[in-house]
Amino acid sequence: MSEEAIQDEHEVQKQNYSDREKAEIFDAEFMPHVDSMYNFAHRLTFDEDDAKDLVQDTYLKAFRFINSFERGTNAKAWLFRILKNSFINEFRKKSKQPSKVDYNEVEQFYNSDDAGEKITTDLRVETVQHMIGDEISGALNSIAVDFRTVIILSDLEGFTYEEMSKILDIPIGTVRSRLHRARNMLKEKLASYAKEMGFNKEN
Amino acid sequence: MSEFSDWFKHTFKNCYCDKGNLIDEKRFAEIVQLVLDNEADEESRAIFEQKISTCVKSNFTFEKEKTVREEILKKLSEHNKEIPNDLAQTIRNSVNL
Repeated sequence: MSEEAIQDEHEVQKQNYSDREKAEIFDAEFMPHVDSMYNFAHRLTFDEDDAKDLVQDTYLKAFRFINSFERGTNAKAWLFRILKNSFINEFRKKSKQPSKVDYNEVEQFYNSDDAGEKITTDLRVETVQHMIGDEISGALNSIAVDFRTVIILSDLEGFTYEEMSKILDIPIGTVRSRLHRARNMLKEKLASYAKEMGFNKEN
Repeated sequence: MSEFSDWFKHTFKNCYCDKGNLIDEKRFAEIVQLVLDNEADEESRAIFEQKISTCVKSNFTFEKEKTVREEILKKLSEHNKEIPNDLAQTIRNSVNL
């Protein structure tokens, strides 16, 4: 995330914390989210070292631009936004397998009427109950990162649509539709995996 | 009035035929998502709850979606990566705290 981008949102509320206040904010408001940040980073990068680097980098930026953070506001969403942008701007570029998919095109397809039939999946409760966390996590990880991200933010981290809209820099209506498509993709992956493994036989 | 009040009304209406039977499960799934995500406003939620209390098909779809989602979430939450022991301290050191 660029310096401008971090400062942009809070330009009018720029703070002037003392060193002691900065340390207090960092410890009390930023550090409690390390575990969530690491899990998010790992689900984006699939690599322990990259996840660690990404989290460290995020905290360094957060400290550097701490005067752009208003004490008592949503620190978790602010940190997630920095992490997400760092991932897009730096880590994705460094990736050995950079994204070759135009996500706008994917999203347009899934938002079109034609896509309806293809993304309707009859995933049974019993099928999911048969699966272990590893299998479900694998299915989630196989979804394109922009879609995977909304599931992580909403279902695992509990962000509201409005918070997600700010973290991802997309309209709130897009959050709703992207989340719906993402969950359908996940169900489709789980259903096809279950079929391969014979989980969904009648008896 | 929330961001999705108009969207809810329009979509909900199109889910049902004149007799009140659920005819568009795909659209209904989007409504269910909004409700389960706690993004539907009070009025929309009341309309939704009234409907699922009288329509078996709507109720079944809602309960199934809710249970599948809970199962997925439970298993994903149990599958979080172990946090490196030194991460918090490394971060503190890097900003000289």
